[in-house]
Amino acid sequence: MTRPLPPDVGADALDQPFWDGCRRREFLLHTCGECGRAYWPASSCVDHGWAPMSWTPSPGTGEVHTYTVFHHAYLPWLADRVPYALAVVRLDEGPFFHTDILDCDPGDVAVGMRVEVTFEDAGEGWVLPHFRPARVAPES
Amino acid sequence: MTTGFCVAGLGVTAQGVRLGIPARALRREALELALADAGLRRRDVDGYIGTSGETFDDVRHLGLAPGFAWTMQAGGATATWSVLNAMSAIRTGQAQVVACVYGAAPSSRTARLADGSTGGYGSYGYGYPMLYGMVGAASAHALHARRHMHRYGTTTEHLGAVAIAQRAHAALRPGTVGYGHPITLEDHHASPMIVDPFRRLDCCRDTDGGVVLLITTAERARDLRSRPVHVLGAGTGHNLRNWWTGDVYDKHDDIEPAARTAFGQAGLTVGDVDVACLYDPFTISPIMQLEAYGFCGPGEGGPFVAAGETGPGGKIPTNTGGGQLSGYYATGFTAVVEGVVQMRGDGGATQVTKAEVALVSGHGGNGGVQNTWSHATLLLGADR
Repeated sequence: MTRPLPPDVGADALDQPFWDGCRRREFLLHTCGECGRAYWPASSCVDHGWAPMSWTPSPGTGEVHTYTVFHHAYLPWLADRVPYALAVVRLDEGPFFHTDILDCDPGDVAVGMRVEVTFEDAGEGWVLPHFRPARVAPES
Repeated sequence: MTTGFCVAGLGVTAQGVRLGIPARALRREALELALADAGLRRRDVDGYIGTSGETFDDVRHLGLAPGFAWTMQAGGATATWSVLNAMSAIRTGQAQVVACVYGAAPSSRTARLADGSTGGYGSYGYGYPMLYGMVGAASAHALHARRHMHRYGTTTEHLGAVAIAQRAHAALRPGTVGYGHPITLEDHHASPMIVDPFRRLDCCRDTDGGVVLLITTAERARDLRSRPVHVLGAGTGHNLRNWWTGDVYDKHDDIEPAARTAFGQAGLTVGDVDVACLYDPFTISPIMQLEAYGFCGPGEGGPFVAAGETGPGGKIPTNTGGGQLSGYYATGFTAVVEGVVQMRGDGGATQVTKAEVALVSGHGGNGGVQNTWSHATLLLGADR
Protein backbone atom coordinates (compact mmCIF):
# COMPACT_ATOMS: atom_id res chain seq x y z
CA MET A 1 0.00 0.00 0.00
CA THR A 2 1.65 3.22 -1.16
CA ARG A 3 0.77 6.86 -0.68
CA PRO A 4 -1.62 8.37 -3.22
CA LEU A 5 -0.25 10.55 -5.99
CA PRO A 6 -1.95 13.53 -7.69
CA PRO A 7 -3.95 11.49 -10.25
CA ASP A 8 -5.35 9.46 -7.34
CA VAL A 9 -6.70 12.49 -5.49
CA GLY A 10 -7.75 14.93 -8.20
CA ALA A 11 -11.09 14.40 -9.89
CA ASP A 12 -9.81 15.83 -13.19
CA ALA A 13 -6.83 17.57 -14.75
CA LEU A 14 -7.63 21.19 -13.77
CA ASP A 15 -4.86 21.24 -11.14
CA GLN A 16 -2.35 19.53 -13.45
CA PRO A 17 -0.34 22.73 -14.16
CA PHE A 18 0.35 22.97 -10.42
CA TRP A 19 1.78 19.43 -10.27
CA ASP A 20 3.74 20.01 -13.47
CA GLY A 21 5.21 23.10 -11.81
CA CYS A 22 6.30 21.00 -8.84
CA ARG A 23 8.34 18.81 -11.20
CA ARG A 24 10.24 22.01 -12.09
CA ARG A 25 10.49 22.90 -8.36
CA GLU A 26 8.11 25.80 -8.97
CA PHE A 27 5.26 26.48 -6.53
CA LEU A 28 2.36 27.92 -8.53
CA LEU A 29 -0.86 29.59 -7.40
CA HIS A 30 -3.97 30.16 -9.46
CA THR A 31 -4.11 33.92 -9.76
CA CYS A 32 -6.68 36.40 -11.02
CA GLY A 33 -5.25 38.71 -13.69
CA GLU A 34 -7.83 41.38 -12.85
CA CYS A 35 -7.34 41.80 -9.10
CA GLY A 36 -4.26 39.70 -8.32
CA ARG A 37 -6.05 37.54 -5.78
CA ALA A 38 -4.43 34.10 -5.46
CA TYR A 39 -6.18 30.73 -5.04
CA TRP A 40 -5.43 27.07 -4.44
CA PRO A 41 -6.68 24.62 -5.72
CA ALA A 42 -7.83 25.77 -9.17
CA SER A 43 -10.66 28.23 -8.71
CA SER A 44 -12.81 30.87 -10.26
CA CYS A 45 -12.15 34.33 -8.82
CA VAL A 46 -14.99 35.34 -6.51
CA ASP A 47 -15.14 38.73 -8.25
CA HIS A 48 -13.92 38.08 -11.82
CA GLY A 49 -14.72 34.47 -12.65
CA TRP A 50 -12.64 32.02 -14.63
CA ALA A 51 -11.43 33.96 -17.68
CA PRO A 52 -8.61 35.95 -16.03
CA MET A 53 -7.20 33.00 -14.03
CA SER A 54 -3.68 31.72 -14.68
CA TRP A 55 -0.95 29.84 -12.80
CA THR A 56 1.78 32.15 -11.51
CA PRO A 57 4.93 31.45 -9.45
CA SER A 58 4.94 32.01 -5.71
CA PRO A 59 7.89 31.93 -3.30
CA GLY A 60 5.95 29.32 -1.32
CA THR A 61 6.25 31.00 2.06
CA GLY A 62 3.71 31.45 4.81
CA GLU A 63 2.87 30.50 8.36
CA VAL A 64 1.16 27.60 10.10
CA HIS A 65 -2.47 28.67 10.55
CA THR A 66 -3.57 25.49 12.33
CA TYR A 67 -2.45 21.87 12.55
CA THR A 68 -3.08 18.45 14.01
CA VAL A 69 -0.87 15.48 14.87
CA PHE A 70 -2.04 12.03 13.80
CA HIS A 71 -1.40 9.31 16.37
CA HIS A 72 -3.67 6.82 14.63
CA ALA A 73 -2.91 5.36 11.20
CA TYR A 74 -6.22 5.27 9.33
CA LEU A 75 -4.68 3.61 6.27
CA PRO A 76 -1.94 1.01 5.92
CA TRP A 77 0.53 3.28 4.13
CA LEU A 78 0.48 5.65 7.12
CA ALA A 79 1.34 3.00 9.71
CA ASP A 80 5.06 3.72 9.82
CA ARG A 81 4.55 7.50 9.79
CA VAL A 82 2.64 8.06 13.03
CA PRO A 83 2.90 10.33 14.84
CA TYR A 84 2.93 12.90 12.02
CA ALA A 85 1.81 16.51 11.77
CA LEU A 86 -0.68 17.79 9.21
CA ALA A 87 -0.71 21.56 8.96
CA VAL A 88 -2.75 24.18 7.17
CA VAL A 89 -0.33 26.83 5.95
CA ARG A 90 -1.65 30.31 5.26
CA LEU A 91 0.46 31.34 2.30
CA ASP A 92 1.68 34.93 2.21
CA GLU A 93 -0.57 35.51 -0.84
CA GLY A 94 -3.62 34.39 1.18
CA PRO A 95 -4.64 30.84 0.19
CA PHE A 96 -4.53 27.88 2.55
CA PHE A 97 -2.33 24.90 1.71
CA HIS A 98 -2.56 21.56 3.54
CA THR A 99 0.81 19.89 4.02
CA ASP A 100 3.06 17.91 6.30
CA ILE A 101 5.94 19.69 8.03
CA LEU A 102 9.38 18.23 7.32
CA ASP A 103 12.57 18.77 9.32
CA CYS A 104 10.52 19.36 12.46
CA ASP A 105 9.44 17.15 15.34
CA PRO A 106 5.61 16.89 15.20
CA GLY A 107 5.50 18.16 18.77
CA ASP A 108 7.29 21.36 17.76
CA VAL A 109 4.78 22.44 15.10
CA ALA A 110 2.98 25.56 16.34
CA VAL A 111 0.43 28.08 15.12
CA GLY A 112 2.27 31.08 13.67
CA MET A 113 5.43 29.15 12.76
CA ARG A 114 7.02 30.56 9.58
CA VAL A 115 7.43 27.90 6.92
CA GLU A 116 8.68 27.56 3.35
CA VAL A 117 8.11 25.09 0.56
CA THR A 118 10.53 22.31 -0.27
CA PHE A 119 10.11 19.66 -2.95
CA GLU A 120 10.61 15.93 -2.73
CA ASP A 121 10.57 13.18 -5.32
CA ALA A 122 7.55 10.98 -4.61
CA GLY A 123 8.33 8.28 -7.17
CA GLU A 124 6.65 7.40 -10.45
CA GLY A 125 7.81 10.75 -11.83
CA TRP A 126 5.91 12.85 -9.30
CA VAL A 127 7.36 15.63 -7.20
CA LEU A 128 5.34 16.81 -4.21
CA PRO A 129 5.61 20.11 -2.35
CA HIS A 130 6.14 19.91 1.42
CA PHE A 131 6.79 22.65 3.95
CA ARG A 132 9.56 23.02 6.53
CA PRO A 133 10.43 25.67 9.12
CA ALA A 134 11.68 28.75 7.30
CA ARG A 135 15.44 29.00 7.29
CA VAL A 136 17.08 32.22 8.32
CA ALA A 137 18.69 33.81 5.27
CA PRO A 138 22.47 33.31 5.43
CA GLU A 139 24.55 36.38 6.29
CA SER A 140 25.98 37.93 3.16
CA MET B 1 -44.61 32.24 15.71
CA THR B 2 -44.32 29.01 13.79
CA THR B 3 -43.64 28.01 10.20
CA GLY B 4 -46.95 26.14 10.11
CA PHE B 5 -45.24 22.75 9.77
CA CYS B 6 -44.86 19.91 12.24
CA VAL B 7 -42.99 16.73 12.88
CA ALA B 8 -46.05 14.50 13.13
CA GLY B 9 -44.42 11.08 13.21
CA LEU B 10 -41.20 9.77 14.68
CA GLY B 11 -39.76 6.32 14.14
CA VAL B 12 -36.46 5.35 15.76
CA THR B 13 -35.08 1.81 15.59
CA ALA B 14 -32.49 0.31 17.90
CA GLN B 15 -29.28 2.31 17.54
CA GLY B 16 -25.96 0.65 18.23
CA VAL B 17 -22.69 -0.88 17.15
CA ARG B 18 -22.84 -3.80 14.69
CA LEU B 19 -26.55 -4.53 14.88
CA GLY B 20 -26.15 -6.77 11.84
CA ILE B 21 -29.39 -5.48 10.26
CA PRO B 22 -29.34 -4.37 6.59
CA ALA B 23 -29.74 -0.64 6.04
CA ARG B 24 -32.99 -1.00 4.09
CA ALA B 25 -34.46 -3.12 6.87
CA LEU B 26 -33.57 -0.37 9.35
CA ARG B 27 -35.36 2.17 7.14
CA ARG B 28 -38.40 -0.09 6.84
CA GLU B 29 -38.58 -0.63 10.58
CA ALA B 30 -38.22 3.11 11.26
CA LEU B 31 -40.93 3.89 8.68
CA GLU B 32 -43.37 1.48 10.29
CA LEU B 33 -42.65 2.91 13.73
CA ALA B 34 -43.24 6.45 12.43
CA LEU B 35 -46.49 5.48 10.69
CA ALA B 36 -47.75 3.82 13.88
CA ASP B 37 -46.70 6.85 15.89
CA ALA B 38 -48.70 9.21 13.65
CA GLY B 39 -51.56 6.82 12.96
CA LEU B 40 -50.93 7.03 9.22
CA ARG B 41 -50.83 4.37 6.49
CA ARG B 42 -48.22 3.85 3.80
CA ARG B 43 -50.51 5.36 1.17
CA ASP B 44 -50.62 8.62 3.16
CA VAL B 45 -46.92 9.22 2.50
CA ASP B 46 -46.82 11.17 -0.75
CA GLY B 47 -43.27 12.51 -0.56
CA TYR B 48 -39.99 10.69 0.13
CA ILE B 49 -36.68 12.36 0.97
CA GLY B 50 -33.85 9.90 1.39
CA THR B 51 -30.79 10.90 3.36
CA SER B 52 -28.63 7.77 3.32
CA GLY B 53 -27.85 7.12 -0.33
CA GLU B 54 -30.86 4.93 -0.97
CA THR B 55 -31.87 3.87 -4.45
CA PHE B 56 -35.28 3.86 -6.04
CA ASP B 57 -35.39 0.12 -5.43
CA ASP B 58 -34.93 0.80 -1.73
CA VAL B 59 -38.08 2.95 -1.87
CA ARG B 60 -39.89 0.13 -3.65
CA HIS B 61 -38.77 -2.23 -0.88
CA LEU B 62 -40.56 -0.01 1.63
CA GLY B 63 -43.87 -0.49 -0.18
CA LEU B 64 -44.36 3.22 -0.72
CA ALA B 65 -45.95 4.95 -3.71
CA PRO B 66 -45.05 8.63 -3.24
CA GLY B 67 -45.46 11.47 -5.72
CA PHE B 68 -41.73 12.11 -5.55
CA ALA B 69 -38.73 10.31 -4.17
CA TRP B 70 -35.12 11.46 -4.15
CA THR B 71 -32.07 11.45 -1.94
CA MET B 72 -30.13 14.49 -0.82
CA GLN B 73 -26.67 15.02 0.58
CA ALA B 74 -25.47 17.94 2.70
CA GLY B 75 -23.25 15.88 5.00
CA GLY B 76 -24.15 16.17 8.66
CA ALA B 77 -26.60 18.96 7.81
CA THR B 78 -28.68 16.54 5.73
CA ALA B 79 -31.12 15.68 8.53
CA THR B 80 -32.04 19.25 9.42
CA TRP B 81 -32.00 20.17 5.72
CA SER B 82 -34.35 17.28 4.91
CA VAL B 83 -36.99 18.78 7.20
CA LEU B 84 -36.59 22.10 5.40
CA ASN B 85 -36.93 20.39 2.03
CA ALA B 86 -40.01 18.51 3.19
CA MET B 87 -41.60 21.80 4.27
CA SER B 88 -40.73 23.33 0.90
CA ALA B 89 -42.30 20.42 -1.00
CA ILE B 90 -45.51 20.69 0.99
CA ARG B 91 -45.63 24.47 0.63
CA THR B 92 -45.35 24.18 -3.16
CA GLY B 93 -48.14 21.64 -3.30
CA GLN B 94 -46.05 18.55 -4.11
CA ALA B 95 -47.12 16.53 -1.10
CA GLN B 96 -49.03 16.57 2.16
CA VAL B 97 -47.00 14.10 4.22
CA VAL B 98 -43.28 13.77 3.53
CA ALA B 99 -41.10 11.04 5.01
CA CYS B 100 -37.50 12.04 5.80
CA VAL B 101 -35.75 8.70 5.88
CA TYR B 102 -32.43 7.56 7.33
CA GLY B 103 -31.06 4.08 7.75
CA ALA B 104 -27.45 2.99 7.65
CA ALA B 105 -25.23 0.29 9.04
CA PRO B 106 -21.68 1.68 8.86
CA SER B 107 -20.47 -0.26 11.88
CA SER B 108 -21.52 -3.58 10.36
CA ARG B 109 -19.22 -3.23 7.36
CA THR B 110 -16.54 -5.89 7.34
CA ALA B 111 -15.10 -5.87 3.81
CA ARG B 112 -12.00 -3.77 3.26
CA LEU B 113 -11.81 -1.32 0.37
CA ALA B 114 -8.90 -1.00 -2.03
CA ASP B 115 -7.27 1.65 0.17
CA GLY B 116 -7.27 -0.69 3.16
CA SER B 117 -10.08 1.13 5.00
CA THR B 118 -13.55 -0.20 5.71
CA GLY B 119 -15.10 2.92 4.22
CA GLY B 120 -16.54 4.03 7.55
CA TYR B 121 -17.26 7.70 8.25
CA GLY B 122 -13.92 7.98 10.06
CA SER B 123 -11.73 7.28 7.06
CA TYR B 124 -12.98 9.78 4.50
CA GLY B 125 -10.37 11.26 2.23
CA TYR B 126 -10.17 14.97 1.51
CA GLY B 127 -8.71 15.47 -1.95
CA TYR B 128 -5.09 16.60 -2.21
CA PRO B 129 -4.47 16.74 1.60
CA MET B 130 -4.69 12.94 1.43
CA LEU B 131 -1.20 13.10 -0.15
CA TYR B 132 0.09 14.15 3.27
CA GLY B 133 -1.95 11.70 5.32
CA MET B 134 -5.05 13.79 6.03
CA VAL B 135 -7.67 11.09 6.45
CA GLY B 136 -10.87 11.05 8.48
CA ALA B 137 -13.36 13.51 9.85
CA ALA B 138 -11.49 13.79 13.17
CA SER B 139 -8.60 15.57 11.47
CA ALA B 140 -10.89 18.08 9.76
CA HIS B 141 -12.41 19.00 13.13
CA ALA B 142 -9.03 18.92 14.87
CA LEU B 143 -7.97 21.83 12.68
CA HIS B 144 -10.58 24.21 14.09
CA ALA B 145 -10.16 22.70 17.56
CA ARG B 146 -6.45 23.51 17.52
CA ARG B 147 -7.21 27.00 16.26
CA HIS B 148 -9.72 27.53 19.11
CA MET B 149 -7.14 26.34 21.65
CA HIS B 150 -4.60 28.75 20.20
CA ARG B 151 -6.93 31.74 20.21
CA TYR B 152 -8.76 31.24 23.49
CA GLY B 153 -6.72 28.86 25.61
CA THR B 154 -9.28 26.07 25.35
CA THR B 155 -7.77 22.95 26.95
CA THR B 156 -8.04 19.19 26.79
CA GLU B 157 -9.85 19.47 30.16
CA HIS B 158 -12.51 21.57 28.44
CA LEU B 159 -12.86 18.99 25.69
CA GLY B 160 -13.06 16.30 28.34
CA ALA B 161 -15.81 18.25 30.12
CA VAL B 162 -17.96 17.96 26.99
CA ALA B 163 -17.43 14.20 26.83
CA ILE B 164 -18.27 13.85 30.54
CA ALA B 165 -21.38 16.06 30.40
CA GLN B 166 -22.82 14.19 27.45
CA ARG B 167 -21.97 10.82 28.91
CA ALA B 168 -23.76 11.89 32.11
CA HIS B 169 -26.90 12.38 30.00
CA ALA B 170 -26.41 9.12 28.08
CA ALA B 171 -25.80 7.18 31.27
CA LEU B 172 -29.43 7.93 32.16
CA ARG B 173 -30.88 7.24 28.69
CA PRO B 174 -31.69 3.61 27.89
CA GLY B 175 -30.71 2.48 24.41
CA THR B 176 -27.65 4.71 24.06
CA VAL B 177 -24.06 3.57 23.70
CA GLY B 178 -23.19 5.20 27.03
CA TYR B 179 -26.20 3.99 29.03
CA GLY B 180 -25.21 3.08 32.58
CA HIS B 181 -21.58 4.07 32.06
CA PRO B 182 -20.67 7.57 33.26
CA ILE B 183 -17.05 8.66 32.72
CA THR B 184 -14.58 10.88 34.57
CA LEU B 185 -11.83 13.25 33.49
CA GLU B 186 -9.36 10.49 34.41
CA ASP B 187 -11.10 8.18 31.94
CA HIS B 188 -10.89 10.90 29.31
CA HIS B 189 -7.19 11.53 29.87
CA ALA B 190 -6.46 7.79 29.88
CA SER B 191 -8.12 7.23 26.50
CA PRO B 192 -5.56 7.12 23.68
CA MET B 193 -4.74 10.16 21.58
CA ILE B 194 -6.16 9.65 18.08
CA VAL B 195 -5.79 12.90 16.19
CA ASP B 196 -4.45 15.65 18.42
CA PRO B 197 -6.19 17.20 20.37
CA PHE B 198 -8.83 14.45 20.17
CA ARG B 199 -8.57 11.37 22.34
CA ARG B 200 -10.82 8.42 21.71
CA LEU B 201 -13.40 9.82 24.15
CA ASP B 202 -13.46 13.09 22.18
CA CYS B 203 -14.76 11.22 19.13
CA CYS B 204 -18.10 9.63 18.37
CA ARG B 205 -18.12 6.22 16.77
CA ASP B 206 -20.11 4.73 13.91
CA THR B 207 -23.35 3.04 14.92
CA ASP B 208 -26.14 1.38 12.94
CA GLY B 209 -29.75 2.50 13.04
CA GLY B 210 -32.78 3.91 11.28
CA VAL B 211 -34.85 7.06 11.77
CA VAL B 212 -37.94 8.33 9.96
CA LEU B 213 -39.58 11.73 10.47
CA LEU B 214 -43.03 12.41 9.02
CA ILE B 215 -43.48 16.08 8.18
CA THR B 216 -46.86 17.67 7.51
CA THR B 217 -48.78 20.86 8.15
CA ALA B 218 -49.80 21.89 11.65
CA GLU B 219 -53.41 21.68 10.50
CA ARG B 220 -53.06 18.06 9.38
CA ALA B 221 -50.95 17.16 12.42
CA ARG B 222 -53.77 18.15 14.76
CA ASP B 223 -55.83 15.20 13.54
CA LEU B 224 -53.06 12.62 13.95
CA ARG B 225 -52.33 10.28 16.82
CA SER B 226 -49.00 11.68 18.04
CA ARG B 227 -48.29 14.87 19.94
CA PRO B 228 -47.11 17.23 17.19
CA VAL B 229 -43.82 19.08 17.43
CA HIS B 230 -43.86 22.45 15.69
CA VAL B 231 -41.10 23.75 13.45
CA LEU B 232 -40.92 27.32 14.77
CA GLY B 233 -38.12 28.42 12.48
CA ALA B 234 -35.37 27.15 10.20
CA GLY B 235 -32.20 28.66 8.80
CA THR B 236 -29.07 27.79 6.86
CA GLY B 237 -25.53 29.00 6.38
CA HIS B 238 -22.59 27.87 4.27
CA ASN B 239 -18.96 27.94 5.28
CA LEU B 240 -17.64 28.93 1.86
CA ARG B 241 -18.35 32.49 2.93
CA ASN B 242 -15.73 32.08 5.66
CA TRP B 243 -13.38 30.21 3.34
CA TRP B 244 -13.09 33.26 1.10
CA THR B 245 -12.38 35.57 4.04
CA GLY B 246 -9.86 33.18 5.63
CA ASP B 247 -11.99 32.74 8.77
CA VAL B 248 -13.04 29.16 8.07
CA TYR B 249 -10.93 27.56 10.81
CA ASP B 250 -11.89 30.20 13.36
CA LYS B 251 -15.64 29.90 12.84
CA HIS B 252 -16.36 26.17 12.50
CA ASP B 253 -19.55 26.85 10.48
CA ASP B 254 -21.40 29.84 9.13
CA ILE B 255 -23.91 29.78 11.97
CA GLU B 256 -24.69 33.49 12.12
CA PRO B 257 -27.06 33.60 9.09
CA ALA B 258 -28.60 30.23 10.00
CA ALA B 259 -29.40 31.45 13.52
CA ARG B 260 -30.63 34.85 12.33
CA THR B 261 -33.08 33.31 9.88
CA ALA B 262 -34.35 30.62 12.27
CA PHE B 263 -34.78 32.90 15.28
CA GLY B 264 -36.28 35.59 13.07
CA GLN B 265 -38.96 33.22 11.77
CA ALA B 266 -39.71 32.03 15.28
CA GLY B 267 -39.72 35.49 16.81
CA LEU B 268 -37.45 34.17 19.55
CA THR B 269 -34.00 34.85 20.97
CA VAL B 270 -31.38 32.46 22.25
CA GLY B 271 -32.62 33.15 25.77
CA ASP B 272 -35.90 31.43 24.88
CA VAL B 273 -34.21 28.11 24.12
CA ASP B 274 -34.77 25.46 26.80
CA VAL B 275 -32.67 22.64 25.37
CA ALA B 276 -29.90 22.48 22.76
CA CYS B 277 -29.44 19.52 20.43
CA LEU B 278 -26.17 20.19 18.63
CA TYR B 279 -24.44 18.12 15.98
CA ASP B 280 -21.48 16.79 17.93
CA PRO B 281 -19.16 14.29 16.24
CA PHE B 282 -16.23 15.64 18.30
CA THR B 283 -16.03 17.44 21.63
CA ILE B 284 -15.02 20.76 20.08
CA SER B 285 -18.34 20.90 18.19
CA PRO B 286 -20.65 21.80 21.11
CA ILE B 287 -18.10 24.29 22.47
CA MET B 288 -17.90 26.29 19.24
CA GLN B 289 -21.63 26.08 18.55
CA LEU B 290 -22.61 27.21 22.06
CA GLU B 291 -20.48 30.29 21.39
CA ALA B 292 -21.74 30.90 17.87
CA TYR B 293 -25.40 30.64 18.87
CA GLY B 294 -24.76 33.02 21.78
CA PHE B 295 -25.32 30.76 24.79
CA CYS B 296 -21.95 32.09 25.96
CA GLY B 297 -19.38 34.56 24.66
CA PRO B 298 -16.64 33.89 22.09
CA GLY B 299 -13.95 31.69 23.62
CA GLU B 300 -16.05 30.94 26.70
CA GLY B 301 -17.44 27.62 25.49
CA GLY B 302 -14.88 25.44 27.27
CA PRO B 303 -15.24 27.03 30.73
CA PHE B 304 -19.03 27.20 30.19
CA VAL B 305 -19.24 23.42 29.74
CA ALA B 306 -16.69 22.75 32.49
CA ALA B 307 -18.90 24.76 34.88
CA GLY B 308 -21.74 22.33 34.25
CA GLU B 309 -23.92 24.72 32.26
CA THR B 310 -24.79 22.09 29.64
CA GLY B 311 -25.65 19.39 32.15
CA PRO B 312 -28.87 18.79 34.07
CA GLY B 313 -29.96 22.01 35.75
CA GLY B 314 -27.39 24.04 33.82
CA LYS B 315 -28.18 27.19 31.85
CA ILE B 316 -28.72 25.21 28.66
CA PRO B 317 -28.98 21.41 28.92
CA THR B 318 -27.26 20.18 25.77
CA ASN B 319 -27.48 16.87 23.93
CA THR B 320 -29.68 15.40 26.64
CA GLY B 321 -29.73 12.00 24.93
CA GLY B 322 -25.94 11.81 24.95
CA GLY B 323 -25.60 13.25 21.46
CA GLN B 324 -23.46 11.51 18.89
CA LEU B 325 -20.55 11.30 21.32
CA SER B 326 -22.29 9.09 23.85
CA GLY B 327 -25.73 8.37 22.41
CA TYR B 328 -25.56 7.06 18.86
CA TYR B 329 -24.45 8.31 15.46
CA ALA B 330 -27.46 8.52 13.18
CA THR B 331 -25.74 11.43 11.41
CA GLY B 332 -27.79 14.61 11.97
CA PHE B 333 -30.86 12.64 12.97
CA THR B 334 -29.37 12.13 16.43
CA ALA B 335 -29.98 15.81 17.19
CA VAL B 336 -33.36 16.06 15.44
CA VAL B 337 -34.69 13.01 17.28
CA GLU B 338 -33.63 14.45 20.63
CA GLY B 339 -35.31 17.74 19.84
CA VAL B 340 -38.57 15.94 19.06
CA VAL B 341 -38.26 13.73 22.16
CA GLN B 342 -37.74 16.75 24.42
CA MET B 343 -40.62 18.71 22.86
CA ARG B 344 -42.91 15.75 23.47
CA GLY B 345 -41.77 15.48 27.08
CA ASP B 346 -40.48 11.95 26.47
CA GLY B 347 -36.91 12.50 27.69
CA GLY B 348 -37.24 10.37 30.80
CA ALA B 349 -34.54 10.99 33.41
CA THR B 350 -32.98 13.75 31.28
CA GLN B 351 -36.22 15.47 30.24
CA VAL B 352 -35.84 19.22 30.66
CA THR B 353 -38.69 20.40 32.87
CA LYS B 354 -41.31 22.48 31.04
CA ALA B 355 -39.14 22.60 27.92
CA GLU B 356 -40.97 24.44 25.14
CA VAL B 357 -38.24 25.38 22.66
CA ALA B 358 -35.43 23.20 21.33
CA LEU B 359 -32.54 24.33 19.15
CA VAL B 360 -31.40 21.64 16.71
CA SER B 361 -28.29 22.00 14.56
CA GLY B 362 -26.68 20.02 11.79
CA HIS B 363 -23.40 20.61 10.04
CA GLY B 364 -21.12 18.84 7.63
CA GLY B 365 -20.52 18.02 4.03
CA ASN B 366 -17.17 16.49 3.19
CA GLY B 367 -16.04 18.47 0.21
CA GLY B 368 -12.44 19.20 -0.59
CA VAL B 369 -10.56 20.29 2.45
CA GLN B 370 -13.01 21.48 5.10
CA ASN B 371 -15.45 19.29 6.96
CA THR B 372 -18.24 21.63 7.90
CA TRP B 373 -19.45 23.34 4.76
CA SER B 374 -23.21 23.23 5.39
CA HIS B 375 -25.09 24.27 8.50
CA ALA B 376 -28.83 24.08 9.08
CA THR B 377 -30.74 25.11 12.19
CA LEU B 378 -34.19 24.09 13.32
CA LEU B 379 -36.12 25.61 16.19
CA LEU B 380 -38.67 23.11 17.45
CA GLY B 381 -41.56 23.93 19.76
CA ALA B 382 -43.80 21.91 22.05
CA ASP B 383 -47.52 21.75 21.26
CA ARG B 384 -49.47 23.84 23.75
